[in-house]
Amino acid sequence: MIELRGVSKTVMSGDQPLTILHPLDLSIPSGQCVSIVGPSGSGKSTLLGLIAGLDAPTTGEILINGVEITALDENAMAGVRGSQIGFVFQFFHLVPSLTAFENILVPLEIAGVTGGRKKAERLLEDMGLVGRAHHYPSQLSGGEQQRVAIARALANDPPILLADEPTGNLDSANGHHIVEILIDVNRRHGTTVVLVTHNSELAENTDVTLAMRDGRAERLEVVRPRAGDRKKSESAV
Amino acid sequence: MLTRSQASLSFVFKMTLREIRASWKRLVFFFICVAIGVGAIVGVRSIIQSARDALLRESRALLAADVLVESREPWTEEVRAIVNARLGTVPVLDRIESVETATMARPAESAKAVAKMVELRGVEPGFPFYGELELVGGATVTPEMFADYGALVRPELLAQFDVEVGDEIIIGDDVYEIRGVVLVEPGHQLSAFSLGSRVLVHHDAVVQSNLLVFGSRARYQTLIRIDEAHIEPLVEQLREDVEGTRLRVWSYHNTENRVSRNLKRAENYLSLVGFVIVILGGIGVWSVTRVFVQQKLRTIAILKCLGATTWQLLSVYVLQVVVLGLGGSLLGVAMAMVALQAVPTNVVAGYGEIAYGLTGSAVVQGAGIGVLVSLLFAVVPLLDVRHVRPLLLLRGTGPRPSGQIDWLWIATVGSITGALVSVASWQADSWRVGAYVSGGFAGVAVALHFAAGALVRIVKPLSRVAWFPLRHAVISLGRPGNQTRTILLAVGLGSFFLIGVRALQVNLLEEFSLEMREDAPDMFLLDIQQDQADGVRELLEASAPGKAATLLPVLRGRVTGVESDSVNLDSTEDVRGRGSLGREYVVTYRDGLEENERYLDGGPWNDDPSITEVSIEKSIRDRFDIDVCKTIRFVVLGRTIRARVTSVREVRWNDTRRGGFMFVFRPDAFSAAPHSYIAMFRGPDKTDARGRLQRDLVARYSNVSIIDVRDVMASAKEVIDGVSLAISAVGAITLFTGVLILIGSVAMTKFQRLYEAAVFKTLGADNRMMTTMILFEYGGLGAMAGVIGSAGAVLLSWTLSRYLLEIAWNPAFTQNVVGLVATAFTVGGVGVLSSLDMLRRRPLVTLRAE
Repeated sequence: MIELRGVSKTVMSGDQPLTILHPLDLSIPSGQCVSIVGPSGSGKSTLLGLIAGLDAPTTGEILINGVEITALDENAMAGVRGSQIGFVFQFFHLVPSLTAFENILVPLEIAGVTGGRKKAERLLEDMGLVGRAHHYPSQLSGGEQQRVAIARALANDPPILLADEPTGNLDSANGHHIVEILIDVNRRHGTTVVLVTHNSELAENTDVTLAMRDGRAERLEVVRPRAGDRKKSESAV
Repeated sequence: MLTRSQASLSFVFKMTLREIRASWKRLVFFFICVAIGVGAIVGVRSIIQSARDALLRESRALLAADVLVESREPWTEEVRAIVNARLGTVPVLDRIESVETATMARPAESAKAVAKMVELRGVEPGFPFYGELELVGGATVTPEMFADYGALVRPELLAQFDVEVGDEIIIGDDVYEIRGVVLVEPGHQLSAFSLGSRVLVHHDAVVQSNLLVFGSRARYQTLIRIDEAHIEPLVEQLREDVEGTRLRVWSYHNTENRVSRNLKRAENYLSLVGFVIVILGGIGVWSVTRVFVQQKLRTIAILKCLGATTWQLLSVYVLQVVVLGLGGSLLGVAMAMVALQAVPTNVVAGYGEIAYGLTGSAVVQGAGIGVLVSLLFAVVPLLDVRHVRPLLLLRGTGPRPSGQIDWLWIATVGSITGALVSVASWQADSWRVGAYVSGGFAGVAVALHFAAGALVRIVKPLSRVAWFPLRHAVISLGRPGNQTRTILLAVGLGSFFLIGVRALQVNLLEEFSLEMREDAPDMFLLDIQQDQADGVRELLEASAPGKAATLLPVLRGRVTGVESDSVNLDSTEDVRGRGSLGREYVVTYRDGLEENERYLDGGPWNDDPSITEVSIEKSIRDRFDIDVCKTIRFVVLGRTIRARVTSVREVRWNDTRRGGFMFVFRPDAFSAAPHSYIAMFRGPDKTDARGRLQRDLVARYSNVSIIDVRDVMASAKEVIDGVSLAISAVGAITLFTGVLILIGSVAMTKFQRLYEAAVFKTLGADNRMMTTMILFEYGGLGAMAGVIGSAGAVLLSWTLSRYLLEIAWNPAFTQNVVGLVATAFTVGGVGVLSSLDMLRRRPLVTLRAE
């Protein structure tokens, strides 16, 4: 369960404060797949970064499975990220000095998981990357790099997977493949997935779409109602 | 599941290994720098420690006895009685007498026109108690070799005199037969610079000769063999017995300590040179770590995003530096080990043949310093890891804390400074020297840093010129993350050492050649007795018609007290407490000033005969705070004289035509007293004529000693050349380290440069243009480093010439220009060579990767 209570973000633009995310209340139940859509500069990635604990809100609080992450220091937050949250970036952000296999292994090692190598091998297999295990990121295609990044994000079986424009840097075939993987993760494992996307195919496959504009949540649309969900169309958040 | 700390450790170790695997090539140059410094420390320490161990294993042979009693004056009956009385109370196993003096020797064959000063030592049979006199051909020394005027000589004397074993030489009025050639003499360290070659004869022969006349310099020794248990009590008692006399007593323990102390000091000072090189490597480590962290920002952000903590990541990179520092240090140890194989066994001058090998203590010290310096210099830039936020991955840059005092950074920098001063002090074995070296280094580094900044600003206007290669070369010097200051610091220091040493060498040689020019005297005659003065003068002037010989009356005296308001030295002990004021001085008397003197204070003698007057040299005033109107007590010829200071003179020491004296008395004080003369004379230029003159002088006045300045100069030049070579080698190593840092710096900024080059190429720049640009950038950097090095060298040579060596200063223009141009070409060449792959690479490959 992800809960945001009055969360906002203001940054300094020169001498002037600039609110890039206006106060927002949002509740994402466990197992839901949410897409955040909107034009550039609407605050999508800021919101995702706040949920991931990559940034601190100016006001409000964020709870991940009942833990208020806004009250945690950097090291405690790193612990939450390692165990609760997987993150997939538009530009993959693999560690260039590590092979595909090692990139997947890293979060397992940080968490101190025994048998991490087997798990990493299985994830590579799941992503169809067995033959690329010992290749460095620079030796992989964009689609392959993104699959490694997803495998890495899933390594610790996080209950939450966040993705920032995961198909934004890929061609349509690779993008389609990544969409399938992410939806599959949500459907098969019940992982809460929150993703920022411009990809309509991806957005259509999520349960809920949050549309943003100018740092405000414009509407929350239930695309694929789940049991207990009430269809909300163009409703304020 | 592992525990939290197990998981953390495991992650840190695994990531460290992976990071080393990925980054070691980029860091290799800097760790070679560390290796060179460590190699220098380990090599130098190993050599000197090996020498010390070898010497101390045979420490009794250093003295040739257990206890030695020495006098610089002939034994008086009273002193002899005191010593004999004390020796009578302890079970002395054996004792022998020895006397040593510098005098002239010549071949007996009259056709050979040569005479040389030798260091003559007369010993009694039984010498030495410890160690062995080693002779050429392995012959054994027997009492017969000294009997009936037998002599053992050094190989170089055979060559100088063109004589061999069995031939005869004349010393004083006595003819000696050469009965052996001595290679090693216990108790005598063959120093690099001596007045003459060693000749060993029987003690009685020297005592009965006419060599030990009034005023001659000799050392009279009693060598004692005694059981170990009695050594220290005897030394203590003898010292009490002879207190107040000029006798010195010491045991082989003291010699052992002295040798050990001297070698330790040499070891520490030389190791400091290695430390300076390690510090240079450290600067490289600091610079590369800074760039390295910048290049690792994204990786750090990713790892933080995956749950790694700041301290885990700091540990990864600190451990990486430690491992590579250890690798560099071990490489340095290996280099030292190889270098030691090539070290001549007699490299520690005067201590004979010694086998050199790595010593454990040197290895531990060198490797420890390598790791420590790498770590210390890497930690500060690594602290930036703390400020990397995972948000960087979304926004490009993460926020840095602003307006807050970074106490951890301040504490780290403070600790590192303290640690570096401690390491320098540890290397020098002195807090004071450690602080000086650290302070000096920091001063030079700060000066170079600001000079570099100023030079970059000076050339900045060139960034507006129309010519593309020059404009962009200048722009590159100020690009973000540039290595300009690091390169200027490293290469500037190297060229500073090299040019500085060369300039100093020129000044020293110039000073010596100055002395040889014009009418400067090149022969000094000592111990001329009063009845010999006229004869010597005639002989000298006859050998070189038209040239006047100067004979100066001299006496030996000691200061035993000073009476003044500011300085009151009542007793001899008080005077001895003021260091060199207590030594024996050669004094003279005359009416006025010589041509090389001028009054700084006071003036000519007064006419009051009731007061003895003395004029002091400026350095006596400056060092001991003794001024005009003060009274000094002297003991001259056993008589105590109170003399009032009536003037302070400055002597131009580089003009030796008229000599130079610290104390000059009014004539009436000593003109009637017995004294000897010294003479200064411009001898004939031709070697044959000089040899004949020396030979004739010695033949007529056998007690007179002649110092041939030309021989001394040749010896001095050898010493200067040796020292210059050693310092030049240090400069070359430093410059080499600087060049390595340069290559490393180019390599580190290559990623940035690759992208720029790709963009330029896409926009139409060809390889020629790119090469010209690089050449300008690095050639310019080299020229700036050369300017900095050259300016520092001018300052260094001026300071040392003016204050330490007290010689005339010459700016050594050629050395500075050659040094500057060579530095510019070296750096320019290295810049282009290091950038070759950048020039060869296709632009699209680079742009795609970006």
